[in-house]
Amino acid sequence: MSNGRKCRVRATNQTNSIEIRTWPRSDISPESLQGRWLFSMTSIKPSAARFAAVAASVVFVALSACGATKAVGLREEVVFWHFWGGRDRPIVEEIVEHFNTSQTRYTVRAIAMPGSNLDLKFFLSVAGGDPPDLLNHDDPVVADWAHRGVLTPLDEIATADELSRLRAWLFPAALQLGSYHGKLYALCNGLDIRALYCNKTLLTEHGLDLPETIADLDHIAETIAPPGQTTSRLRMGYLPDPRRLWAWGVVFGGSFANLHAETAEQMITADSPEIVAALAWMADYGRRYGPSEVAAFRSGEQALTGAAFPLLADRRYAVVMDGQWRVRDLETARQANPSLDVFAVKPLPAPPGGRKNAGWVNGNFFVVPGRARHKQGAWEFMKYWSGFDGHEAGAAVACAAGGWIPASQHVVDQPAYQQALHRWPLLKLFVQLAASPDQVPVPPLPVGSLYYNEVVQAAQEVLYRGADPATELGRASNRVRARLSEVLDER
Amino acid sequence: MHRSESRIGVAMISPWLVGFCVLTLFPFGASLYWSFCRYDLLSEPAWVGLDNYRRLAGELAEGGSFARALANTAYYALASVTLSVVLGITLASSLAWKVRGRAFYRTLCFLPTVVPTVAAAVLWLWLLDPQLGLINGFLQKLNLPAQGWFQSTSAAGWPPAWPGDHAGRVFGSKDGLVLMSLWGVGNLLVIYLAALSDIPKTLYEAAELDGAGRTRQFWHVTLPMLTPVVFFNVVMGLIQSVQAFTQIYLVSDGQGDPAGSTLTLSLHLFLTAFKDLDMGYASAMAWVLFVLVTLVTAWLFRTSRHWVHV
Repeated sequence: MSNGRKCRVRATNQTNSIEIRTWPRSDISPESLQGRWLFSMTSIKPSAARFAAVAASVVFVALSACGATKAVGLREEVVFWHFWGGRDRPIVEEIVEHFNTSQTRYTVRAIAMPGSNLDLKFFLSVAGGDPPDLLNHDDPVVADWAHRGVLTPLDEIATADELSRLRAWLFPAALQLGSYHGKLYALCNGLDIRALYCNKTLLTEHGLDLPETIADLDHIAETIAPPGQTTSRLRMGYLPDPRRLWAWGVVFGGSFANLHAETAEQMITADSPEIVAALAWMADYGRRYGPSEVAAFRSGEQALTGAAFPLLADRRYAVVMDGQWRVRDLETARQANPSLDVFAVKPLPAPPGGRKNAGWVNGNFFVVPGRARHKQGAWEFMKYWSGFDGHEAGAAVACAAGGWIPASQHVVDQPAYQQALHRWPLLKLFVQLAASPDQVPVPPLPVGSLYYNEVVQAAQEVLYRGADPATELGRASNRVRARLSEVLDER
Repeated sequence: MHRSESRIGVAMISPWLVGFCVLTLFPFGASLYWSFCRYDLLSEPAWVGLDNYRRLAGELAEGGSFARALANTAYYALASVTLSVVLGITLASSLAWKVRGRAFYRTLCFLPTVVPTVAAAVLWLWLLDPQLGLINGFLQKLNLPAQGWFQSTSAAGWPPAWPGDHAGRVFGSKDGLVLMSLWGVGNLLVIYLAALSDIPKTLYEAAELDGAGRTRQFWHVTLPMLTPVVFFNVVMGLIQSVQAFTQIYLVSDGQGDPAGSTLTLSLHLFLTAFKDLDMGYASAMAWVLFVLVTLVTAWLFRTSRHWVHV
């Protein structure tokens, strides 16, 4: 990727001959190749032409395999992998372009990867010894990857002063997302916060108010979709999503991990009474409507076109939990249909003894692989995108364009972002929640992904099969404890 | 054969030989070694003896993910292979009749097999949607209860919730997968049609002279003469259904959803190896799967002498 690296083959055609030799990689660019291959096939013998065609294919494949890059002059090229697609992709490309324009030392080459297998591709690149310089991801993997030793701790590329300022600069949740064992391994560039989207028009039609308590939510559910219906339902007042036990567990006052504990046995606390109580409350919905009905209704959303917001799909729900990105969806839908229902957002209501303004948070973060070649360039770009160290105004513009929640209040306070909040009033609540210390991510443990999946599986068992909450959470916890214990013993 | 001819022969097959050694033989041996190791792709494999196999036994005993994946795979393989054989023979027998437009109907039955797996999976996801899908809509028009297909755990758990839940759902997620696998029955159809055309006409004439009607001819001539092909298709179908991955990955949100009802061994293996990076355990799982398929295939070969007409 650097200018000095060599690509293995290069072919030139001079009359009938094919020459294959090594060549400095920096010389290989689409421009330099263009024309060299435009030889006339009629001027050479058929057999030679066939051979030339085969050789050309081989060279093309070899060049592709080498990942031929365009010459970047004296600037260091930072290879950046990300998962952004759809309507966010142009914004990301613009951020990269702006950064490259602002730079004399580094240039970022962004490569979009399919999000579902980004981690797999990353690990294969690490195992193969050719990782990117920078990666943007959104799964709870920082602790796991840091534990495996594949990430560069930020204290190796940032100064002590920078790190100290960064810790104070980030929202608490953003700081937690990037930390493992007291060290920062990732820089968050945006948070994903969830709240309850409510169809005010539909609620009013049924004489209902916005939900302030858990009892209100249950009342909405039972009023809009009374239990006992024998045919398939097409509308629900509210229906808990098994994945969101991660949010309700915290709202009910629980904690999924004790990070100060000595043993894996004590660290995993998904079977604590508060989380069991949260799942028991969710399970009531399964009992009310029948587990199969709940599963069918929930999974039926797969058939909605594209990534349609279920709240908009024929008033499928009166209340649904979702992230801040739906604000943009609602806005787009309203532009297309001005007489659209009126929507509001509310924080998750807490039961007595529970936590207010609480929930589950995840986010997008940058990590630098341990064997990255251009770590300083990666660090500069991370700061640029997230807004740290004087880049707040630019970051605010990007976040405002995407409807994203910044990782710091300093970016939120910028005029560009304040204008976005004025334009999208529903976004305000999400930004307020982002600053809450009770917005908690998946615990930073080496088995974070496994833990997340096990808890979701347990919740599915309860909601979709009618299993006992305490038993399922106990089983899931034990499986994670066993794996965590093994992983902690490995290194 | 001259030595020079041997050398030329070896040279000619060397591309395949190299590919086989590097891409098949080495991974085969490596996975056996890794199944006795703790290995996460990033660090050196650490020898742990039989730990991974003990873990598998433990999961099997307590009904963990491996037990569920094994049960799901067995259900899927059994139902898929049985139904595809029955449907394949039925269709082939029907299309063997000399009727007008026979070539058209044969082409029509084969056509679905040329649809890419991903496109077919997405199509079936829509068709079998429990609420908005065409198939459930059709069932409801006939006053039959809508089924859960990919989205319901009924009849998909272990033990299965047969004969259905309170809403009259009999079929669940795995049944949706089975239905989808029948989409590719066109491949079997071609083989059965070829086998049918190979049956000597004299056998039918002799049966007719003995007074056998069409049904008796089918049971006593056609079916016995088809058994070698049925045997071949059962063995191949078994291996293919154990290896089935793409369509299951697509319809189950890549996780075996809902509630692990579509978690098959191939999917579980993939998630364990490449999501949890537990390569040693996944290798052990792959070897158990390999041994199981070998045993079932061996059993089929052993019993074939009793039911395959040679």
